[in-house]
Parts: sequence; structure tokens; C-alpha cells
Amino acid sequence: MSTIVSTPDVHKAKPFWQNQHFMPYWLLAPAVLVTAVIVFLPMVQAVFTSFYDLVLFKPNASRFVGFGNYIKLFNDPVFWTALWNTVIWIGLTVPLQMGLGLLTALLLNREFPWRGLARALVIIPWALPSVVIALMWRWIYDPNTGVLNDILLYLHVLQTAVPWLADPSVALYAIIATLTWQGFPFFAVMILAGLQGIPKSQYEAASIDGASAWRQFVHITLPGIGPVLATAGLLRVIWVANSMDVIFVMTGGGPGYATHTLPLYAFIKARQNLDFGYGTTIAVTFTLFLGAIVAVYLARTLREVER
Amino acid sequence: MNKPSTLRRILTTDLPVLVIVFFAMAPFAWMILTSLTPTAVLNATGVSISPSGWSFDNYVRLIEQTSFLKNMLDSLIIAVGTVLVGLLVSVTGAYAFSRFRFAGRKAIMLQFLLINMFPIVLLILPLFVLFRKLNILDTHFALILANATAAIPFAVWMLTSYVGAIPKSLDEAAMTDGCSRLTALRRVVLPLMMPGIISTGIYIFITAWNEYLYALTLGGRNVRPVTVAIQTLIGEYQIEWGLLAAGAVVGALPATLLFLLVQRRLIGGLTQGAVKG
Amino acid sequence: MKLFRKLTLAVATAASLVFSPARAAETVRFWYHFDNPANPMSDLVAKFEKANPDIKIEAENVPWNSYYDNLYTALVGGNAPDAAMVKLFAQPRLAEMGALEPLGERIDAWPGKADLLDNLLELNKGADGQQYYLPIQYVVLYLYYRTDLFEAAGLKPPTTCEDFREAAIKLTKAPDTYGFGLRGGKGGWDQWGAFVFSKGAELKPGGLTTPQAVAANQWLIDLFQKDKVIPPSAPNDGFQEIIAAFKTGKTAMTIHHIGSSKDLVAALGDKVSAVPVPKCGGKQWTSYGDESLAIFSSSSVKDAAWKWISFLAEGENNVAFNTATGQMTVTKSGAANWKLHERRFVDATVQSLPFAHVLPQSSGTSEFVNTAWQTAMQQALTGQITSQQMMEQLNTLFAQ
Repeated sequence: MSTIVSTPDVHKAKPFWQNQHFMPYWLLAPAVLVTAVIVFLPMVQAVFTSFYDLVLFKPNASRFVGFGNYIKLFNDPVFWTALWNTVIWIGLTVPLQMGLGLLTALLLNREFPWRGLARALVIIPWALPSVVIALMWRWIYDPNTGVLNDILLYLHVLQTAVPWLADPSVALYAIIATLTWQGFPFFAVMILAGLQGIPKSQYEAASIDGASAWRQFVHITLPGIGPVLATAGLLRVIWVANSMDVIFVMTGGGPGYATHTLPLYAFIKARQNLDFGYGTTIAVTFTLFLGAIVAVYLARTLREVER
Repeated sequence: MNKPSTLRRILTTDLPVLVIVFFAMAPFAWMILTSLTPTAVLNATGVSISPSGWSFDNYVRLIEQTSFLKNMLDSLIIAVGTVLVGLLVSVTGAYAFSRFRFAGRKAIMLQFLLINMFPIVLLILPLFVLFRKLNILDTHFALILANATAAIPFAVWMLTSYVGAIPKSLDEAAMTDGCSRLTALRRVVLPLMMPGIISTGIYIFITAWNEYLYALTLGGRNVRPVTVAIQTLIGEYQIEWGLLAAGAVVGALPATLLFLLVQRRLIGGLTQGAVKG
Repeated sequence: MKLFRKLTLAVATAASLVFSPARAAETVRFWYHFDNPANPMSDLVAKFEKANPDIKIEAENVPWNSYYDNLYTALVGGNAPDAAMVKLFAQPRLAEMGALEPLGERIDAWPGKADLLDNLLELNKGADGQQYYLPIQYVVLYLYYRTDLFEAAGLKPPTTCEDFREAAIKLTKAPDTYGFGLRGGKGGWDQWGAFVFSKGAELKPGGLTTPQAVAANQWLIDLFQKDKVIPPSAPNDGFQEIIAAFKTGKTAMTIHHIGSSKDLVAALGDKVSAVPVPKCGGKQWTSYGDESLAIFSSSSVKDAAWKWISFLAEGENNVAFNTATGQMTVTKSGAANWKLHERRFVDATVQSLPFAHVLPQSSGTSEFVNTAWQTAMQQALTGQITSQQMMEQLNTLFAQ
């Protein structure tokens, strides 16, 4: 058993695979090719667009403005509001989803009679289209006809109904709660799969040594799912940062700019106001910021992922 | 270690799971109630809680008056197609990333991440023009291609971490026994990474099933997935709550059923393989 | 880069683009949005195709909340439909893109022209005086009120802003009932207009920042902040919320149009009625809600497309169309015998027509309607900016 756990040397040369040098490339070719054509090239074009003043309904007025859009952006107070909202948005949603997902995965990994059913039911929030989720929660939060206020008033948690989505200081957190609900099953499923990779023998050995459940969790479970947790967390940061459909349907970015995130701001500028030059500038800036965060994250955890 | 008693199991496992399932299900249960309340009642008095007021009226209307079954089929073709294409491409990609060290490896991995960071909204227009030139607008193929591309980077990264957890000694042993690389991948690594493949497959399926923006722009009249069909129930002045709820309930079924079917395969994997190995 | 040039090129030369190879039967691609899921459009299509066997209609129901996004994408991407349902606020942008086909001559030669309600073509005219839009249905905003609550409070439906405020204060029994359901979220500018445009505010340079305009806006904000006759949820309330709140008795008045009367009567019966919006500062202003049909200049089957859209605007076809949408027919013959809505709502609509207006057609208006009004209003309602700041913010849209 122990030989399975210890990882052998990475750079062991195997001279009898003649095609070893080319193999990874042709294994990767389809993935690289398709992503390059469908996403990477349009993205590069977008970077060029951001140097233009391009409003779609004024096709003849487009002109090259260099960094003009970027200068305008950094002087735009809405940009800074949206940036700060994006930070809160990612900083709260992903840890909450991950925490709840981890707890769920650990519970669903235990033996109990209706485990299969519970596993299937738990993924429902994730299996619903975002627009339905957004409308459903908008209804739940509604201070006049919604159930949430009714329940909280009944339980005397609240004294008066709270306009969850109409109050600029609460709206963002209300949407974060919705997104946590939507996204925790993703972590639960990913972690559940990761948990299967930990050999039972390790727990058995630890029990014999008298390790407590908490120590087993810290010393066996967490390291065992470390790579999955790190990767899923990273991918989720990117996904959550970019997801704006729930916000768009729930508040449209309001009240005021209280729930504007950068991708939503880019969406509103580009798709609703048809200001492609500026919208793309927001998107490119956002990608750079996110890329910087991801770079820091990777530098810290790449070893975990690569383990 | 002695087996925990049933009571203890109920307290430490069943009850907490029940709480989580309730948390996950409560809004959905409300949706089911809404879908069971006929529209006239819904407009007049709201959701009917007692079973006496329930009917399958909304479901009947959904199937008879709208093309929902055809939309489900479109979604299914797209989602299954995306899973197949996405998994095929990502499994090989992940295998390459985890088993080889080659020039440009990190750069390609990072490129995969980078392309998922850019907001999709601004890729729609160039993609629309590209697909029009290729003459594949409003086809299943277009949506499979677009969805697969969006899913591949994540899938490759997830799978790389799963494959990375499988000891290299196993496939190396198989290769010294005379298997080729690909045979080793198929016979040894694939069965071991099954939980990872299943969970990534679920991820791709759900992402493709719920995708809206591509479906709206690159689809159209011939190919109209469920998400677009559901959106047409949200009108300018009216939301057909009853139909919408029925659509959402039916629309959530495939992913839930699929997961119910495959969740068993999440277990096994390495622990099982290790015993054999 | 190449693509970028293509984008601009695609728009400039949209007229010369040909999308589908000509077939024996001409195919007209038509986009619409419908609130009615039963989709009665297929009956109209069948009727039309029977009368015109050489024309095939491909009607596509596009989700409302992405309708214009999607339309612009298709236009710019070079795959636009031949004809579509469109609203007036989009006309300046579409005209600026060169996407619209002038319809003036075709309308003049069309026998159905005489049957169109007076003034509708005038309202629909483009900024350059050309006719691009063919009206298909209309609504006018008026004031819905709860007859039972008014009676219980000994009140009459308000005719002036002062009456309105007084009634709202008397009817408010927070947190159970509020006097007025204000739509502070997307699309609420038309309610706002009844209180602010009536008092002299205008969508033109400097037209929003006059002292009267700022004071009118302040008056409305005060209803929310000081008098508290508007539910606290108002800043995020859209159409769904104001109607739901009115249905459940949470609000005693709200402003909307005849399209929601069926639903309200189903929920409230005789306890709901309607009057024109109150007179504010000696003037009444209400919003004319339009829906028209247009042909795109990129179409290669314009004659067939015209046959189809004019078919929809004719007498009984238009009535069938409006039966599905719940709005008002644009034909005289159809209006003469209108049974779709209760009389009291039709009356309120007709009485409101004399002071019903459309917003001025400029690109600033599109942004005002789509995003800017909502954001500014929400900020003002929640106290983040003052009335003066809100109006100045909106004024920048019309500054040029």
C-alpha cells in the first residue's frame, strides 16, 4: 500500500518511448486548437477593440484613441465601485461555497441508507438554469409578497420587513447568499470525487494510532483533497467572478451601482448601450486584474496542484 | 474500530444531511408547488399549499402549447455532445499535463485559465460573425463547439488534478509489462480516474445544459435549448409563473437523474483499483 | 483587427448583404416577442401562408429580456431577420445604424392605411421625418386604484398631484398597506414621467436641470423618503413586483396600462378600477407605449416582408394579434367592436390619449430608458445622491 502513496521521481527517463517528446503535443492538440480558434483569437481582437472608440450604432464615428478608453476608465467612479464590489463578490462567495461544499461532501461520503438519493437531491440548485434561480430568489426576497420576510417575521428574527434587494447596503450580500446556494453543490461533487482518492488504509492506520476525528481530518483528509480543493477553488474564483446573469436578473446592478461587478458593467456597456470600445476596455482590465490574482494564487498553491 | 450505533449515525449523519438537503431543496420545493398550482389560482390567490388545489395543468400546457419536449431534445443533444467532445479532449489533455514534462507545458496550462477569465459577453459578437462565415449558425454543432470550448479549460484543470493523484508507478508498471502509452491510459489510468471523469462530466453536462447566452445568439429557430425556451416565458408585462416553474422542474430533471444514475461510480476509483493493483 | 474592420464594414454595407440563397418560395424571417406562451402567432402564420402560398414565414419568438441585445448582435453580425417587432425607443439607434427600410411609399399605397387610428403614424415617425415603423399595438399608462380602499377611506380617485399625495397618505397603513406602488427598477421611467415631465422637465440639453424639474423630482422622492407612502422595496421593484403588490393589497394605487387589467380583475374583481394619471402643475403627461413592425434594409425579400407585416396590421388580423398580447388594436374597425378588456379600462385608456406622449427620439433616450434612469433614480431614492445630482447626471445624456 505505501508504495502507492509515495510518488516516484517525476523525471524518470524511459528511452523505449520513441515518441515521448511529441506525444504530449498531439494529446493536447485538439484542446489547444479549438480553444485558440474559438476563444483566444476573439480575445486578442478584443484587446485591439479596446483601443478604439467604437459604438455599434455609430459605425462611421469609430476611431483609434490609444489608451483613451483606459484613461477614461480609471477616472470613472463607477469602475472603482464595481471593482470593490467584485472583490467582495469573489472574496465571500467562493469561500462560502467551498466551506458548505466541503461539509456536504464529508457528510455525503459517510454510509447511510439514503445516500444515493441525498447526493442527487443536493445537486439540484446547481442543475437549475441561472435565470430561474434568479427569478425564484427575487421572489423569495420580495418584501411585499416574498416568503423570507414572512418566515423571519414569524420567528421574530426581524421586527419589520427588510427590502433585501432594494437596500444598497444589503443587496450585494443577498445575491451572494443566492450564489452560495447555487454553487455549493459544485464543490460538494468535486470534493466527493476527490475524497475517493484517499486510501481507506490511512484512516485505519490513524485510528489504530488513536488519532481523533479532527486530527484525521487535518492530517489525512485535507492533504488528500488538497489538490482538488486548490484547483476547484481556483476555477470557481474565475467562474464566480465572471458570472453575472444572476445579478443581472435579480437587480440589474442596482440599486444605483450597489451590485455592479466589473463583468456586469462590461455587459451593460457593451450589450445594452452598445459601447463596444468601452465595454471591451472594462473586460480587458478585469481580465488583467483577475489574472494578477490568479498568478498570486498559483504561485502559492501550484505545488499543491502539482503534487 | 467498532461500528457506530444507528442512533449515533442518525444524529451525526442523517440529521445534518437532512438539513443540507432541506436547504438545497426548499426553494425548489416552492417551485414544485408553484408548478402544481393552476395559473388562474396562482394569479388570484397565489401558491396552493394543500394537495386538493393541485393539478398537472401547467405540465400539460407546457407540453401541448409550447415546444418544450423538442427544446429538451435540443438541450440533450447539445449537453451530451458537449460532454463527449469535452471529455475526449480533456482526458487526453489532462493525461499529457500530468504524465509529461514538456516545453510550453506551463504556458499552455495558463493559457487555458486565461481564456476563461475574459467575460464571454464580449466574445459573442466575433463568434457570431465567425460561425456565420462557417455557415453553422443555428445548428447543434455550433453550440456543442462553443460550449465545449468554454468547458474544456476547466475540465482539463480538474482532470489534471485527479490524474495527478493517481500514482505514476501504476501506469509505469503496466508499460514495463509491454503495454503502450495509450493502452496504459485506457486500461490503467482511465478506470482509476473514473470518479474524476464522472464529476467533470457532470460539470460539463450542467454547464452546457444551463448555458444561455451562446444558446440565444448562436442558436435560433431550429435549435432552441431549454434555457432559451424558458426565457420566452418571461414576458415584458407578464411572467407565466406556472409554466416557468413547470419548465424549471422538468428542466432540472435530466441532470438530477443523470447524477442519481452515475453517483455510484464516484465511489470505487482509487481505493478499488489499489486493491487490484 | 480584421474582424474590427469587418464589423464596421458589415454595418455600412448591410444593405448589400444577402444571407440565404433564393429559393423558389420566398422565406421571410420574422422576430417577435410575446408574453403569451400559447403562441397564437402560428395561427396567423398559417392564415398568411394559405393566402400567399409562395411566401414562407419563419417566425421566431425571442426572449424579451434579451430581445434588443440579440437584435443588435444579429444586425451587426450580418444575420438579421427580414422584419421584426420593434419599439420607438430603439428607432434612433436603428436609424443611425442604417438598418431600417423606409416604409412611407408602401404605407401610402396600402389600403389598410385609412383604417389605422388617427395620429399613430405621426407618433411613429422617425426623427428625419421618414416613416420606418408600422404600428401594430399600443397601450397608454393610467392610474389603477382600489375602489374598496378608496371608499373605505372616503376618497375619490385623485385628479391632481396634490389630491394624489393626500390620498396616498390617507391610504398608507404601513407596513400592511402603502398608498402608491412606484416602479423604481428597470422601466419605471414612464411612471416617473407622469409626475416629472408633467411639471415641465424635458429630455433635451438643460431640460432636466431647471428648478421646476428638480423640484418635481424631489416631490416624488419625498413621497418615498418623507411621506413614506411608497413601499421600501420600490428601488428594486419592476413590473412583476408592483403588480403583485397591488394584487395582494400591499399598495392601493399604481400606474400601469391595460395589458395587466385581465390579471388584476382575476385577482381583485370589481375592487380595481382606473382613471387617467393625475394632473401635476396644471398639466398631464402620460407615456404612450408602442409596438411597431419594421423591415430591415439588409433584407432581400422586402416585398414579401411588407406583405407579412401589413397583413398583421389589418383589421381582424390585428385584433387576433392583440387578443394574444392583451394590448390595444391600432385599427379603427377593430377598436369599434372591442371586447377584450372591461369598459372602464378602455375608457381610461381613451381618455388618456390626448396627453399621451413618446420620448424624443435621440440616442440619449435609448440609454435613458435602458439603464441611466434606473440607476440614477435608485441612487436618489436610497439617498446616495440628491434630486439635483440625479437630474444633472441624466442631463449629461442629452448634453450634446
